[in-house]
Amino acid sequence: MYDAADLNLLRELTVSQYKLKDQSSFFGFLWSFLNPLLMLGVLFLFFRMRLGAEIEHYPVYLLLGLLLYTHFANTTSLGMRVLRATRELTTETVFPKEFLVLSAVLSSAMDLVISTVICLAIAFASGIGPTPALLWVPAILVAELVLVAWVSFFLAAIFPFAWDVDHIFHVLLRALFFVTPIFYHPSFVGEGVAQTILRLNPLAQVIAMLRTVVLDGESVALSTFTLFIVPGLVLLGLGFALFKRLEPRFAEYV
Amino acid sequence: MSEYLLRLRTRGLGKDFPLRDGRDTAMRVLHRLATPNDDGPGRINALVDVSFEVRAGEMVGVVGNNGAGKTTLLKLIAGIYRPSRGEIERRGELALLSGLGVGMVRDLTVRENVYLYGAICRVHRMRIRTIFDEIIAWAELGDFVSAPLRTLSTGMISRLAFSIARHIEAPILLFDEAMSAGDERFRHRCEEHFAALRGGDTSMLMTTHSLDLVERFCDRTLWLRSGEQVAFGDTKEVLSAYRRWAT
Repeated sequence: MYDAADLNLLRELTVSQYKLKDQSSFFGFLWSFLNPLLMLGVLFLFFRMRLGAEIEHYPVYLLLGLLLYTHFANTTSLGMRVLRATRELTTETVFPKEFLVLSAVLSSAMDLVISTVICLAIAFASGIGPTPALLWVPAILVAELVLVAWVSFFLAAIFPFAWDVDHIFHVLLRALFFVTPIFYHPSFVGEGVAQTILRLNPLAQVIAMLRTVVLDGESVALSTFTLFIVPGLVLLGLGFALFKRLEPRFAEYV
Repeated sequence: MSEYLLRLRTRGLGKDFPLRDGRDTAMRVLHRLATPNDDGPGRINALVDVSFEVRAGEMVGVVGNNGAGKTTLLKLIAGIYRPSRGEIERRGELALLSGLGVGMVRDLTVRENVYLYGAICRVHRMRIRTIFDEIIAWAELGDFVSAPLRTLSTGMISRLAFSIARHIEAPILLFDEAMSAGDERFRHRCEEHFAALRGGDTSMLMTTHSLDLVERFCDRTLWLRSGEQVAFGDTKEVLSAYRRWAT
């Protein structure tokens, strides 16, 4: 399907995007890590007495949730807009346009890995001991990337045809922040519709897996991981198929 | 000439674009999906019934006034647009150069852009590594390797891009006004490259406003006017008719 020249192009697009985000410099990377840290400070200040009172290691609990939410929000927004943001590449060059979406996802993956390492260091510094369960972390990060990738493909496929998808998606992202247990425990919402929404929320599931291995020191149940990754891969296939079906029309609309 | 020497052929090729009244929104898209028989504001014919061919080793020029459909034709052949009507037959990999330097990033260095643009032109980084010095020397940018691309003039960027594009190995090359940003020296050096390609196996389709370039290098020429094919054939004959029409 893809030859060596295609993979070389994907590599170069990914590296270029990464360099443009200033992540390749130490201070450039620090600035992007400050965003979730700032959110962490505000949420901790306001919620530690009530929502965080019964959550052990609440700062790390918050940080893990913010890390994955921020990565999801930033990368899907980037992936959605990439065809328009690189309009010349979309309309004037011949190569598989999915590489533009993939390069956005892969360049953010580098940030995700580094941010996760920093989070783990903070966790260890705050007294959370490392356990063999941490071997699940790479798999959980892959699960996060699969989630981000399929959402990005669907959005990237639709956005060229309807400019207000950008606005709609950002409203949904704000809602997602509250329907994902980032600053509260899932039990806070009780049973009922809210709990059902949490259970169906794939971002909540990834965050729960990461908290399980880091905070609880327990491995993720294989069935739990499988139940997450298999539908994720199916949705990735569907998103990709939609993208390829609409690809011949992108150049007319971006 | 026998069939197997054909690299590219179009038959009855046509392309419409929808007329738009304002920006598309999610509601409008849903409405269009719900009412497939509603044509909306209508469509515009950018290209109508174009039929021509390019043989192996041949250079074909495409001439016409602004808005004639030259760029649309190249993008259809490259697969960037989907045809509304007709067929395209391609034999072999193709490369499109639509404006030199497309895809280069102004905030990256010249060195970084050589690898990036090389990849866009399907020249692998391993090959770029071995020919890097030659690319920079041809482009006469030895003092700018570590400089951000934005510090270069448009002409310098065109030189750099063409220097990389010279190494494209696809059997079908599509050039869309590729030399419009260059000075006389640059155009001369590009023409040297075209001269070197002649007699080889590479087929080229070139849109240009330079009739002199078409006359010197193109074996046959296609003349488009308002999306319609006026003539296709021997370059001298087509250009003679085109000049009579233009004056």
